[in-house]
Amino acid sequence: MGIEALFGAVFDMLTGGSILFLVAGVFLGLCFGVIPGLGGTTALALLIPVTYGMQPLDAMYLAGGVMGATSFGGSITAILLNTPGTAPNAATTFDGYPLAQQGKAGLAIGASAAASALGGLIGLVTLLMVIPIAKQVVLSFGPSEFFLLTVLGLAAIAVSVRGKLLRGLIAGCIGLIFAFVGADSITGDIRFTGGIGYLWDGVPLVPTLTGMFAISQMIELALKGGSVSDKAPKMDDNMKITGVGAGVMSVFTHWPTLLRGSAIGTIIGAIPGLGGTVASFLAYSSTVQTDRHPESFGKGNIKGVIAPEAANNAKDGGSLIPTVAFGIPGSAETALFLAILVLHGMDPGPSILLNNEREVYGLIVALTASAVGASLIGILIARWLVLITRVDVGVVVPVVVAISLTGVYVLDGRMADVALTVVMGVLGYLMIRFDYPRLTLVIALVLGETAEQSFHQIQMISGGHALDFMLARPISVMLILATIITFFLPIARKITAKRRES
Amino acid sequence: MKNFIKPAVFALAALAAGAAHAEYPGDGKISFVIPYKPGGGFDTIVRTFAPALEEVLGTTVVPDNIPGASGTRGGQAVYRAEPDGYTIGIFNIPGLTVSEATNRDIGFPLSEITWVANLGEEQYGIAVKSDSPIQSVADLCALGRPAKMSDTGVDSTSSITAVISFNILNCPIVNVTGYGGSNDTMIAVMRGEVDATLKPIGSLAKYVASGDMRMIFTLTKNTVLEGVQNATEIGHPEIAKFTINRVVGAPPGTPADVVAKLSAALEAASKSAPVQEWASGSGTQLTFMPADETGAMMSDLSSFYAQYKDLLSK
Repeated sequence: MGIEALFGAVFDMLTGGSILFLVAGVFLGLCFGVIPGLGGTTALALLIPVTYGMQPLDAMYLAGGVMGATSFGGSITAILLNTPGTAPNAATTFDGYPLAQQGKAGLAIGASAAASALGGLIGLVTLLMVIPIAKQVVLSFGPSEFFLLTVLGLAAIAVSVRGKLLRGLIAGCIGLIFAFVGADSITGDIRFTGGIGYLWDGVPLVPTLTGMFAISQMIELALKGGSVSDKAPKMDDNMKITGVGAGVMSVFTHWPTLLRGSAIGTIIGAIPGLGGTVASFLAYSSTVQTDRHPESFGKGNIKGVIAPEAANNAKDGGSLIPTVAFGIPGSAETALFLAILVLHGMDPGPSILLNNEREVYGLIVALTASAVGASLIGILIARWLVLITRVDVGVVVPVVVAISLTGVYVLDGRMADVALTVVMGVLGYLMIRFDYPRLTLVIALVLGETAEQSFHQIQMISGGHALDFMLARPISVMLILATIITFFLPIARKITAKRRES
Repeated sequence: MKNFIKPAVFALAALAAGAAHAEYPGDGKISFVIPYKPGGGFDTIVRTFAPALEEVLGTTVVPDNIPGASGTRGGQAVYRAEPDGYTIGIFNIPGLTVSEATNRDIGFPLSEITWVANLGEEQYGIAVKSDSPIQSVADLCALGRPAKMSDTGVDSTSSITAVISFNILNCPIVNVTGYGGSNDTMIAVMRGEVDATLKPIGSLAKYVASGDMRMIFTLTKNTVLEGVQNATEIGHPEIAKFTINRVVGAPPGTPADVVAKLSAALEAASKSAPVQEWASGSGTQLTFMPADETGAMMSDLSSFYAQYKDLLSK
């Protein structure tokens, strides 16, 4: 059934006039991806009313185009300006931006483009293979597994900031404190809001992220002056920008990194509530942990670009696993995809593959085409994009600040979001200034809510015997082991290294 | 970028329309406030009704999402708007009724809202995993331990319904809350971590049809599904009073003639072919009530939930 439906969907796309919607989606996705503060979710949320008058399949192409293209678009700003265009690209800045500073932005963009396209393909191929057993896969992940995944994520945060463990933990704790603001998801009590109604729903992620990364980085750039890439050659030889091809090839030479990133992306994508930011961060930190030269990361290691970007696109395939199994969303984007179906008078549910086969496969094909298409466009225009790193920051800063604050406002039309973005921007700048890791704070904010909620659930379900409950579940046991390994591997490595020395 | 600017322009237009003081029915734009983000159940019903309403009234109807603070921010916006018929909103009932009954601050007095119409009403059912030995509510209450149920938030209407109705049945339950959405609560039943879940019949029906779940009870006066017990059969017809409603309201002091026109227009819209077609395709139950009936239902609900105040405030 799957293969025929897939060919049918490809045929549908090639024969209808709908490919235009796909192309429009890709361009729109790239734009929304590049602009800090705007992301795939914003794009789809804004598009929902527009899709009302469209054919359902056209709406799928538009949505697929947007979903597939935003993550690569976001990596461009992450590499060139140290400002992730969308939340999940934050991990890409760690090695992408140092490469840009060294005048190797072309290499990083090439690698990001190829990793995005291939990661996206791997995620979707995995999805197609998993479809027959999707229900079992979804049913084997419950509150216990969600909780342990967040613990694994928090453990990865703790060890990822080498040499700055205490600073990392402090930043992580601030993130957790932010995560607990607002209505307690179990008791419904309003906590830590200081009487501000805006905080009832918690500290919103998009303004926090935009402030932490975009605004703070712009403050930093403005104070530093000059241009991003000081090492860049003079303007007269700017057409010599090379390395894009080498960047694309680097993905093939580092294929274990690509596969690991894609696998992590697909798995995390399938877990509702975790999302791309966690996926790309875990992909990055596991790449660093397993590398022979972990000290080479953060200074422009190309693997540090490949892993998060592969994970970022692979998560789209993963997030469709719960969707094909039960008609439930695995991510904010798939939630909006399902909303589009409802808006068109369909009733997505456990029979979604029977009732909405055309739309689901249409979306899968559109996602595939979009992931590849966006990367091709990126490779073609990379040499001009790179010029941004040579523009004086006096021009870059006002443009980026204005656009990202507008983007934050557009999402919900709340001025308070803009104010929060500015506050977070200042906090983020202070963190840069005093050398505290910002992504640690953001990841803790994302994980905190899920961790608290699922732990409470396990307590209620197990009647207070949470540990027994977790130990009785094989996947939970595996996750506990993975957490222990993550936590102790760096220590063990240090000890063996010392022994070798002596 | 064009597609991104368009909704923003519409939103601005909607704001401008809200401020206009044109006589109704004039040619201003009606802003239809949705207190949640695009994509949810409330958003969908408004977006489906909007074009039909436009056709009946001959004026533009712009859906306006004002999310935040558990749906109270949108309600506040309607409460504060000019009572000229150009701002109406959809309200989560009895969610807001219950919040008010338990003295939770929702930012505006619900009783002052001018009620225009009730668009939809759904009743609840209880379902278990399809291979579960539990066959009835009696089985669920005789497990030798409190039955475990799954829900989204403690202040969600289904959770409130579960707490009150099992209290009426004198049957102890543990309501495990915190699931992301109503679908997730049903997945929890299928995973086996809870025994059953209480949800709108329409939502459960999908999973019953796919063979993943089995309905054991409906909170209805009469039989809805053959072979499934209802509230009357177990001697507690009062628990059929729990429903979930999609109610349209206008700012306090909206003139009666404007309300009557809006109410009639919404009734015509709910009978129109596109709305009916959408409802049958998406399994939505449309139950239209005009302004006076809706108002009566609202005060009825207020006193109904007020008597469970202590139970809910726990």
